Amino acid sequence: MSVNLTLLTVMGALYACGIYLLLERSLTRVLLGLMLLTNATNLLILTTGGYAGLAPMFSKDTAAGDYNDPLPQALILTSIVISFAVTAFMLGIIYRTWVLAREDEIQDDAEDRRVARTPSFDVEDDSVIPVETSEFPLTMIGSDGQSVSDVPAGAEATVQVADRTLDADKAASEEQPGSLNVTPPNKEGGGQ
Amino acid sequence: MNIASFAPLAVLLPILGAALTFLLIRQPRAQRTVSIALLSVTLLLECWLLASVWEGGTAAVNIGGWLPPWGIVMVVDQFSSLMLVVSSSVSLAVLIYATGQGMADGDRDAPVSIFHPTYLILVAGVSNAFLSGDLFNLYVGFEILLTASYVLMTLGGTGPRIRAGVTYLVVSVVSSVLFLIAIAMIYGATGTINMADLAVKLADLDQGTQNLLHVMLLVAFGIKAAIFPLSFWLPDSYPTAPAPVTAVFAGLLTKVGVYAIVRTETLLFPGDTFNTPLMVAALLTMIVGILGALAQSDIKRLLSFTLVSHIGYMVFGLAMSSVAGLGAAVFYVAHHITIQTSLFLVTGLIERRGGSSSVDRLAGLAKLSPLLAVLFFVPAMNLAGIPPFSGFLGKLGLLQAGVQLGTPLAYALVAGGVLTSLLTLLAIARVWNRAFWRKPEDAEHPDPVLLAAPGDSATGDRAGKTNVTLLPRTMVGSTLGLVIFGVGLTVFAGPLFKVADQSAFDMLDRTAYIQAVLGEDPPVPAISQPEPQEVSK
Amino acid sequence: MGAITKSALVPFHFWLPGAMAAPTPVSAYLHAAAMVKAGIYLVARLAPGFADTPYWLPVVLGLGLATMLVGGYRALRQTDIKLILAYGTVSQLGFLTMVVGLGKPDAALAGLGLLLAHGLFKATLFLVVGIIDHQAGTRDIRKLSGVYRSSRALAIVAAIGAASMAGIPPLAGFVAKESVFEAFVHYGTGSGAGPWGLLILVGLVLGSILTFAYSARFMWGAFAVKPGVESTPFKPIKPAFLAAPAVLSLLTIVYGLWPAPVDGWVQPYAALFVPDGEDPAAAAGHLALWHGVTPALGLTALTFALGLAMFFGRNAVSRLQGLVPGWIDGDRTYQLAIGALDDAAVWITGRTQRGSLYFYLSVILTVAFVLPLTALVLANKALPEDLYFVDPNSPLQIVAGAGIVIGALAAVRANKRFLAVLMVSVTGYGIALMFALQGAPDLALTQMLVETIILVAFVLAMRSLPAELRDRTGGKYRVVRVIIGAAFGITMVFVAIFALGARVAAPVSLEFPKLAYEGGGGLNIVNVTLVDIRAWDTFGEISVLALAATGVASLIFVRSRGEGIRASSTVAEGSVGRRSPGGSRGNTRDDATLAMSRRFAASSRDAWIVAGRTLAPERRSIIFEVVTRLIFHSIIVFSIYLLLAGHNFPGGGFAGGLTAGLALTVRYLAGGRFELREASPVSAGTLLGIGLATAAASGLVPLLLGGQVFQSAIIEFWLPVFGDVKFVTSTIFDIGVYTVVVGLALDVLRSLGAEIDEHFEEQSEEPAGDQEPGGVPAETTAKGKA
Repeated sequence: MSVNLTLLTVMGALYACGIYLLLERSLTRVLLGLMLLTNATNLLILTTGGYAGLAPMFSKDTAAGDYNDPLPQALILTSIVISFAVTAFMLGIIYRTWVLAREDEIQDDAEDRRVARTPSFDVEDDSVIPVETSEFPLTMIGSDGQSVSDVPAGAEATVQVADRTLDADKAASEEQPGSLNVTPPNKEGGGQ
Repeated sequence: MNIASFAPLAVLLPILGAALTFLLIRQPRAQRTVSIALLSVTLLLECWLLASVWEGGTAAVNIGGWLPPWGIVMVVDQFSSLMLVVSSSVSLAVLIYATGQGMADGDRDAPVSIFHPTYLILVAGVSNAFLSGDLFNLYVGFEILLTASYVLMTLGGTGPRIRAGVTYLVVSVVSSVLFLIAIAMIYGATGTINMADLAVKLADLDQGTQNLLHVMLLVAFGIKAAIFPLSFWLPDSYPTAPAPVTAVFAGLLTKVGVYAIVRTETLLFPGDTFNTPLMVAALLTMIVGILGALAQSDIKRLLSFTLVSHIGYMVFGLAMSSVAGLGAAVFYVAHHITIQTSLFLVTGLIERRGGSSSVDRLAGLAKLSPLLAVLFFVPAMNLAGIPPFSGFLGKLGLLQAGVQLGTPLAYALVAGGVLTSLLTLLAIARVWNRAFWRKPEDAEHPDPVLLAAPGDSATGDRAGKTNVTLLPRTMVGSTLGLVIFGVGLTVFAGPLFKVADQSAFDMLDRTAYIQAVLGEDPPVPAISQPEPQEVSK
Repeated sequence: MGAITKSALVPFHFWLPGAMAAPTPVSAYLHAAAMVKAGIYLVARLAPGFADTPYWLPVVLGLGLATMLVGGYRALRQTDIKLILAYGTVSQLGFLTMVVGLGKPDAALAGLGLLLAHGLFKATLFLVVGIIDHQAGTRDIRKLSGVYRSSRALAIVAAIGAASMAGIPPLAGFVAKESVFEAFVHYGTGSGAGPWGLLILVGLVLGSILTFAYSARFMWGAFAVKPGVESTPFKPIKPAFLAAPAVLSLLTIVYGLWPAPVDGWVQPYAALFVPDGEDPAAAAGHLALWHGVTPALGLTALTFALGLAMFFGRNAVSRLQGLVPGWIDGDRTYQLAIGALDDAAVWITGRTQRGSLYFYLSVILTVAFVLPLTALVLANKALPEDLYFVDPNSPLQIVAGAGIVIGALAAVRANKRFLAVLMVSVTGYGIALMFALQGAPDLALTQMLVETIILVAFVLAMRSLPAELRDRTGGKYRVVRVIIGAAFGITMVFVAIFALGARVAAPVSLEFPKLAYEGGGGLNIVNVTLVDIRAWDTFGEISVLALAATGVASLIFVRSRGEGIRASSTVAEGSVGRRSPGGSRGNTRDDATLAMSRRFAASSRDAWIVAGRTLAPERRSIIFEVVTRLIFHSIIVFSIYLLLAGHNFPGGGFAGGLTAGLALTVRYLAGGRFELREASPVSAGTLLGIGLATAAASGLVPLLLGGQVFQSAIIEFWLPVFGDVKFVTSTIFDIGVYTVVVGLALDVLRSLGAEIDEHFEEQSEEPAGDQEPGGVPAETTAKGKA
């Protein structure tokens, strides 16, 4: 098949510019870079259709090879629309980033940074077998396995239970994603 | 009529469901019913497909009645239908879990009106990617699931999610661009994008061009499947999403990439040209991934790293190009989808119960909620490959195939595989010991929820009472269902391995696939007269 | 073979005692009886197939033996009776692995027998520990004393279990262990095993001696009266508590005295193994209490003697153990190794997992050009011949191409945000021109419309961001960026040259014109391809559009989908976008202009557009409103024309929908957000839903009628005005596409336009008034381009 170097050269230039923009901290530039990349790719698909030809509008007298290849055109159309959708979404992201952080910049992952700084794991972390010789501390258990405490397992505990349910609820509803755990712990759980 | 002509429904029904949930935007209850009902119907349909393929062999359906290679075909073979069944079961469980969470949270975190349509389209995209017999349509399937995943990942629009969403989105778009470039190159070289047709026509090209096209596809899919060194984006992006979203991403999305690589390696570019580089990549993926897991203190991140690491097993299996290896890889994919998803769901429960997903802050969960401990323990041991679970069987199959192959590199991978499973066990055991068994006072930054707990709550029904408030029944139930499904993979490992081996055989053989699409006697491309199209109904 | 390493064998036996910190019954159940046994069971199941592979025996026997010895050794050092049992379990596991892994029929038989015996006695003992712990409040052998006196029944039950563990006749453990010795004596003295067989046998005996010793230690530790330790307070045990272990130990006795049933169960399994050809007698193993005077019996006797000796010399033994330097201690070594491993993990993770998108992308893109480049170089092909710069059919392409490149370079250089956006648009329009020159009018049309809408969306979304666009990456990185960018671009050019040049087959699309006309009933081949031949792609694509629309809305509205903007009639006149006079530091000139514009706006307040009155007078532009009024409906009509004519002429659902979207944009820009609501009575979500549902239905109905999904039909009929009409059912699908695209446009305007307007107004109403720099009002910027 013959190859159109003009289209390919333009494509190559668009890739180079697109990647240059993509490798940047500003979100706007990243988006512009992505747009250039998809434009370049559309050109590439166009090139696979060969020579410029007649618009693919059927007429009985035209040989099939005289039209510009309609299949790449259909693919490009799909690709244009998909990248349109992604661009629109990315614009939403940019605006949202601006609202949240007042800057248009890509931030590094905090947890990754933290992990990379971890000096070394504590060896004791793994020796978790507690030196504990009983699960049943003597004072609490009677011979039949019931509590020996005079107070029946109701009065005090109910309050405790209620209290705990409440706290637990609150804390759970905070439901922070894991990587937020580097923030000071007093943010969660809403104070005892 | 051919049963396979119902295969497109696996995509159509969820999208129809999405359309309905868009219209029912103000009735969350109706949305829930519609999406759960449609997904269940889809799952039943897929089970039926699997059964029919098992008996009748590979089948293809021409969408719109347009014959290949002109129209788009969907191909139902054992591999694709198995993937469909597993992925839909997992998605259904996650959907129920998510609605449970939504109800419990009073729809705070996930605006339900958005969640349902997006989730259904995600499922449709995954199914489309599994079924598609057309390279460009595969791209469209990827785009569907990716766009859905962008929306799901940024649900709620909090700072960390947007940050993670940007990483994920940009990397995914780049991988899509690379995929599209590869498609363009392939169309340029062959003039077709039908995969069966490509299988015939690519063989006519010289080896150098074949390798070129091959490597371009592999890079694009390698990013999606998270193969080292194209995997770094994953642990940064997955863990920040809401628990059910992370779960379904971890289970399904990378596997779609693996699926695409399997098709590339077997259907489009058969042979062993790229086996050595793939094996090296598999080894590095396993080792670097699992070391990453060891360095983490957050359960979700840790699991994300194990996810990357275990992708290495699958790549190892398919890189062997033997029925044993590929079959084990197929089995492993099915196993890993289920197990990884259940673990993320359990982590979601842990987060609710313990207030955090960081092992620095968790402690004593086994006493607070023994059920949670069991729910975590079973899939965790399964992941680490403790016998007799399916994880063990899958790894064993891979290692056996590796030993069979007998090259030094294969032995290196066998050793790496054993090491990885040991280190997985170590990483998981650390979580198990610290989050579940130590006393809350021993934790570095214990979460207030844990300290508030009375010391002896393991006895009596008090713990049970709080469990009900903290862990909604639907969430626990769906997690339990998935865990049981995972155990089911172990119980029915025999038949499953049979399906896996048979599908591996079919894929390596290729004739079933090509003949199902192009007919018994593959037509000579180009000058052939178009078949008369019957378009009347 | 890798599997065996995982059933808690050395060096991984440490997790087992760790996990046994579990409450006693759970521990007993999970570990002793079921959990780990399952692993052994698997080894047993695999052995028939694997025993022939050359790696199997050394690995299984070596690891098993090491595990058995280390476990036994460590069990002797414990002071917690549960940990004695835990390490004992580790030791027994090694033992079991060796036996079942041997892959000989007699060993298999013995192994299963041992498996069962072990399950019985270990469960008994764990339950006993649980009871002791529960009643005495401790499990420490240094504190326990005289428990025997408090509960004789418990002691007897425990003694049966421990005796079985030690292999004392006539219990289950003895029966099993006897046949194990039998098998290994046979193996060790048989041919083929050589000195290794004997060594293994010695190791086995040594392990059994350790087992005997720690069994004795367990009994002594738990029950004996110790001098110098006051006797432990021990509460009476309820009979129900004791029942479970008692039943288990009863079974132990029964099994020992009458092993025939068990023998019957396991014989079929042993038959799976091929007996050694040279010695058929090897197959004839049996579980029995009395085998006669054999070498095995001798070994058992030896075991008892030495085991007893070790128990009575326990002080000497523990002194000896104390003398062993710390580094030999498995735990310490293990922890050091793990420490090193963790350091390595952090190091590698810190190097690869940088948390920086820039780094990830650099790696990905580098891989993406290095691998194809390598493939190119290795292929070592000559350039294809048919290359050309100027397309004879369309020489103008060079000009368009130059324009595109200049636009792209300018976008790279631009340091103002809107300039950069504009330059990227220039490349977009240039590409539209390129499409037109190549013979793709549909593409050109769609690309133009998309570029326009994207440009508007950009301006709307970015009006609050600073105008400056600083390059924040340092010089070093810039070089890397240039290198990666240029290398990728050049590589792709060459890959394309070689890939395209390699084509030998004619493209499948040569048939498309005919297919489109005859099968699809349309003249516009591209459109028929989109809505019929490849309708499935398009179907997927509109779901992508629907998702993107949803996504944008969810990002901007965050909490709800924000379906309701109030009707314009409820909004106070001139309240939208009103600037407070003198707000910006009393700039009098601005105030004067403001007053002037208000007077003008008020004087001609005819309702050209419905919600125009809601805008603040200074925001209104009468001319714009008039023009909008005039063109809005014509654009909508035109968009519907594009939709319906698309089958035969350039146009189609996408182009039509985008045109309608532009019409909405114009209304929004002229009349503000309330105008937008007036323009579309239906919410965006509903539009998306209806569109998707229409498309899905048009795919589903043919299937229900017995065709294929998305199969189209041509219906010809006569209408009064139009005459003969040819209707292709795929048009219905195209209508779905149209609706979704309109929904997307509406959602974008609603979110990036209307909702951000509202954010603005909320902000400017705040007294502190931190005015955003560079906030370009939507109207002024976007008007010229719309």
